[in-house]
Amino acid sequence: MTPSRQGDMGMDIDAAAKRGRGYLFVDGLAEMAGGVVFVLVGGVVLLGGLIPGESLMARIAATGVGVVIVKAVGLLTAVLAIWWFKDRFTYPRTGYVRQKRIPFSQILAFVRNAFLVLALPLFALAATFVFVPHMRGALSSIPIWAPALLGVMWGVPCYWLGEWAGLRRFRLLGMSTFFAGIAVGVGLLLIGWPGRLASASPAQMLGRTFAGVGLLSMICGAAFVLSGLVTFLRYRKENPLPYGQEP
Amino acid sequence: MTEPLPNLLDLDRVIHEPARLLLVALLSSVESADFLFLLKESRLTKGNLSVHLTRLENAGYLSVEKSFRGKIPHTEYKLTPKGAAAFDGYRRSLATFLNKKKRE
Repeated sequence: MTPSRQGDMGMDIDAAAKRGRGYLFVDGLAEMAGGVVFVLVGGVVLLGGLIPGESLMARIAATGVGVVIVKAVGLLTAVLAIWWFKDRFTYPRTGYVRQKRIPFSQILAFVRNAFLVLALPLFALAATFVFVPHMRGALSSIPIWAPALLGVMWGVPCYWLGEWAGLRRFRLLGMSTFFAGIAVGVGLLLIGWPGRLASASPAQMLGRTFAGVGLLSMICGAAFVLSGLVTFLRYRKENPLPYGQEP
Repeated sequence: MTEPLPNLLDLDRVIHEPARLLLVALLSSVESADFLFLLKESRLTKGNLSVHLTRLENAGYLSVEKSFRGKIPHTEYKLTPKGAAAFDGYRRSLATFLNKKKRE
């Protein structure tokens, strides 16, 4: 065996070990369902930014409630639909895999780390706003950095998931989300929104921020739906009938 | 003074066979998987797969759980702690050997 062949073998073992982890996404259904939820949430946020409300707080509250309802109902429906469809479509074709149970301590550690990663920058920002008055101007560029920040927050875990499960398309989706966030922020800059922010009211600023975030969510959701659809069609072509019913 | 190479003859021969290595690798990252998943991923024949799974089960590397999904018999295979340790040990031994060979 030559050294290169030995190297290949090492990679093959890794690839095989990751195969089971990525099995949840083998048929593209989870991607499509997740993408639809993202599109719906984006739509709610976008509408929250476009429809004028009575007061700033009322608009934030209405949009927040809408997002929570869409997420809760959407995720519950998605989980049930995926479970139902996999039981009838995927498992009879390519088999069933039970994923490893994650220990409660690991979930707690993940939630704690996520909270620290997400909350610390927000606390730092709030502290800056309160204690450093001349930095308050930076907050006026929120329509730019809010989508960019969300692009990082969604893109990095997606890329990591692709790496962990050995799924190249998730790495691509992660990178696309990352750059889409920056592109939406820069796009808003180019159409002149932040430039006019000095004269913009808080309600206008909120609307512009919601528009950017909603647009990003819809773009990312659409990319996930498309990726899931392509994966699903390929899976169906490779596995047209349940095992044992093939001609 | 040169260090002695790890003895390749010490590699776990139950896992060293390519088909069984693939099966153990597939099961290493999941709680359990059924016969059909292993059949599709390994591309072995049913008979061949059964033989390799039985060999792994006899070595204590796999546990088998038989149940019914509706009226259809369903068999799930799970890597035991002994099997997981054997797979880790095999990977470490092979990696050590390959790294030493590469340095030479």
